[in-house]
Amino acid sequence: MAFASKRLGKELAKIHGSLPPGITLVTAEGFQEWLLDIQVLDANPIYMNKTFRLKFKFSPSYPIEPPEVTFLNTADRPVPMHPHIYSNGIICLDLLGQQGWSPVQNVESICMSLQSMLTGNTKNERPEGDEQFVASNRRRPRDIDFYYHDNTV
Amino acid sequence: MKVKIRKWNAVATWRWDIPEDDVCGICQVHFDGTCPKCTYPGDDCKLLSGKCGHSFHEHCIDEWIKQETSKGQCPMCRQKFEGPEGTGAAANETMEDPADMEV
Repeated sequence: MAFASKRLGKELAKIHGSLPPGITLVTAEGFQEWLLDIQVLDANPIYMNKTFRLKFKFSPSYPIEPPEVTFLNTADRPVPMHPHIYSNGIICLDLLGQQGWSPVQNVESICMSLQSMLTGNTKNERPEGDEQFVASNRRRPRDIDFYYHDNTV
Repeated sequence: MKVKIRKWNAVATWRWDIPEDDVCGICQVHFDGTCPKCTYPGDDCKLLSGKCGHSFHEHCIDEWIKQETSKGQCPMCRQKFEGPEGTGAAANETMEDPADMEV
């Protein structure tokens, strides 16, 4: 765990110092699971006045391996509507998968990527096959080979 | 007045001879510090600069390159990561000894 915990300790110190607007740390107890809230700052009507909660799960090999990042669904934190976000909170984003991950990414950069993924979205909809995926998926997000069918969103 | 020096203590500092004052992108520790697995900086925990111009602790970039998913690419620019002498295999060539000894 040394590698992951030292790196996360560095990140945490930086996060406690400052975070970009619209990103807040909720909890970071230990180096296995962190919660962060994100908001979309521009006036995108799909996400206006809403806050979304992200759960980060780190393996001992972080940052060589990507963290598992999902949106949580709670009473006041919905899963954002997006053609690449399933209603169970699983996110289809190349940088979070084995293929697109780079160990120079970090918690802050991931939050910013997700923020901008929401900012640029105009489709108030779920991915194709959402219901079936949510009902049948038993795999961990990182093991899913998403088919990046539409790179325009 | 004549002064006779009986004893003197030399103190030296060193730093890696790289242009920028930066951190290793993988472990986020300053280049003058060690990777998370080492205790002493310097020869025991060297830096490796790729042909693409990006540097990392050798131990850090090794961890990444041995992952199949890295496809041998630099984490920064995704070009093929090659050691300075173009050996093809990353991490065979390390930076030279700590430079810029200042006494």
